[in-house]
Amino acid sequence: MTQLIWNGLFVGSFYALVALGYSMVYGIIKLLNFAHGDIYMLGAFIGFAMLTSVGVIPASLSITALLIVLLLVMISTGAIGVAIERVAYRPLRNSPRLAVLITAVGASFTLEYGVAAMAGPNPRVFPVRLEGQTFDILGARISAPQIVLMVVAVILMLGLNSYVQRTSMGRAMRAIALDPKGSLLMGINVNKVITWTFFIGSALAGAAGVMAGAYYGKIDFLMGFIIGLKAFTAAVIGGIGNIKGAMLGGLLLGLLEAFGSQWLGGQWRDVFTFAVLILFLTLKPTGLLGERVTERV
Amino acid sequence: MKLRIPRALGMAAVAATVLATTACGGILGGGGEKTADSGPIKIAAVIPLSGSSAPTGAYMKNGMQMAVDEINAKGGVLGRQLQLDAEDEACDPTQAAAAANKAVSNGAVISVGGYCSGATLPTLPIFQKANIPMIIPAANSQDLVNQKLPNVFLINGTGAQQSAAAVKFMVKDGVKSVALVDDNTSYSKDIATETKKDLDADGTVKVALSTSVTAGESDYSSVVHDIMGANPDMLYWTGYYQEGGLIINQLKAAGYAGKIMVADGSVDASLIKIAGGSNAEGVLATMTQTPDTIKGAESWIADYTKQFGSAPGPYSTQSYDAVRVAAEAITKAGSTDGTKVIAALEAIDGFELFSGPLKFTPEHTLSSGGFQILVVQDGKFVLKDALS
Repeated sequence: MTQLIWNGLFVGSFYALVALGYSMVYGIIKLLNFAHGDIYMLGAFIGFAMLTSVGVIPASLSITALLIVLLLVMISTGAIGVAIERVAYRPLRNSPRLAVLITAVGASFTLEYGVAAMAGPNPRVFPVRLEGQTFDILGARISAPQIVLMVVAVILMLGLNSYVQRTSMGRAMRAIALDPKGSLLMGINVNKVITWTFFIGSALAGAAGVMAGAYYGKIDFLMGFIIGLKAFTAAVIGGIGNIKGAMLGGLLLGLLEAFGSQWLGGQWRDVFTFAVLILFLTLKPTGLLGERVTERV
Repeated sequence: MKLRIPRALGMAAVAATVLATTACGGILGGGGEKTADSGPIKIAAVIPLSGSSAPTGAYMKNGMQMAVDEINAKGGVLGRQLQLDAEDEACDPTQAAAAANKAVSNGAVISVGGYCSGATLPTLPIFQKANIPMIIPAANSQDLVNQKLPNVFLINGTGAQQSAAAVKFMVKDGVKSVALVDDNTSYSKDIATETKKDLDADGTVKVALSTSVTAGESDYSSVVHDIMGANPDMLYWTGYYQEGGLIINQLKAAGYAGKIMVADGSVDASLIKIAGGSNAEGVLATMTQTPDTIKGAESWIADYTKQFGSAPGPYSTQSYDAVRVAAEAITKAGSTDGTKVIAALEAIDGFELFSGPLKFTPEHTLSSGGFQILVVQDGKFVLKDALS
């Protein structure tokens, strides 16, 4: 039981990190950024390229090296997210929603097959793998790397939350989510805020990508696809556009999966998870924390 | 061997059907007459030369080319030279259909290709309409023979034969309980279901758990949790190496001490790398014969290495044999006419292949699959038990 909860929370924290980007972007410009899952994949590949170019890293330094790489990857994927927004989304901001949705799908395929063409279609094995002791806590087997990754995820999420709540940029984000035109009239630089939102969302997805690469060990060019769908689901469960909702939704989705596969068997896991999702949304279409008229970011 | 379901499968299937139908009306209309009685005999090979299965495609192509060269050096078939026409299918149904059409319009009289079952399926009706016999060296989904097309022959073992080999080894090894895990694709599910059926019939080995995972994910902690709960003597994973490697890694991290066996889709050096460290040591596998595990193949391996500058790999021997079987059938038929060659193929009895003497069953499969058990030792798959 405790093992199931732990497994669910651990996977859920990956979903949550990716879901945040979905949710923030949707909150601000009402765009489902389908390329977001592929930013996660890109993060893993950039991390892979950095670690391989450094050469052999002694095991004692692997955590330090990973944290440095994590930071660099966050900056790179953040920049890539900004570039995608500039090239594929901004020119279409006043076009019908469908057009932007299609460029988002286009951006997703471009990233996937661009990476496949450059890095090859075969899966790669991460040069640094997090390994460590396992502990028994209340009957659950928990490993040291899992704890490290959870801590990093929680720090990132708390940091984001206080950033949005406390800083002026965060206030601007919330203002645009409420009323973009009004914000523009009030002298907020809307383009700058949107750019910044993409940067933060993509940086978080990139971080999740590196962490997944280092923990699971295998990366491939389609790895962003499934997690992208799951993160989107998590964002909707939590109430899309709501930051705390995305975190909560991610953890809840992880738990649903863990318990679904325990109760009904692995082949029914996704059926169970998504049936619950359908039921949940019919009863509460705005998601856990979403409100019909809400302050969104 | 592989039955890969790409994301755009629906679309691909539709496209393949459209291609196949248009092609049958158009290009293939005069296919019968194109088989001229002079000039080289063209052998089609629709195999993956790009994409993730490209390395195996290269092993297959080299094996075929080697057989073609040997036969040509001895004067060819019916006094004519053989010519290999390798077309890329990239393990993709749409591309495979296009490649098959191209091979047919190039004037092929026999086909020796077929690696990814999913990509091989749409090529069956194309070759069938043109009355071209197919000797499939690697693809082995039951779906290929279920249609009972007269022109389709498999010289690789099938899923049912693989599961029979797995069960035979489990019983022999004294395993008392087994967990069966597949990845919900038809290739993988096929083996798992057959294994369960065989185990239930045998009765000495208990199926402690039978479940599926979703391919393409990273976290398999829930299935690991289920396996730990069921506590089997052996896990039999019937999916591919990517997920297989992750599951092995996560099982070992969870403290699993039982045995692990994987099916042929997981027999790849990457499995060992993805599993990490020495996690894959001792992992068993059900696999058809590879050049390394065939007795007496040393001189063949040396010839291959000399000709192509690299060692042979999985399905080199089967592809080599496919060409030899094709040549034998055409020789016996005395003609390249499809119907006569098919009759000659059905009549073959005792033609020596790497996997043993060849005689097709009424379903056009091998009478024995030639599956054997490999084990990972010092980071490499080596022969553990030939099961003979």
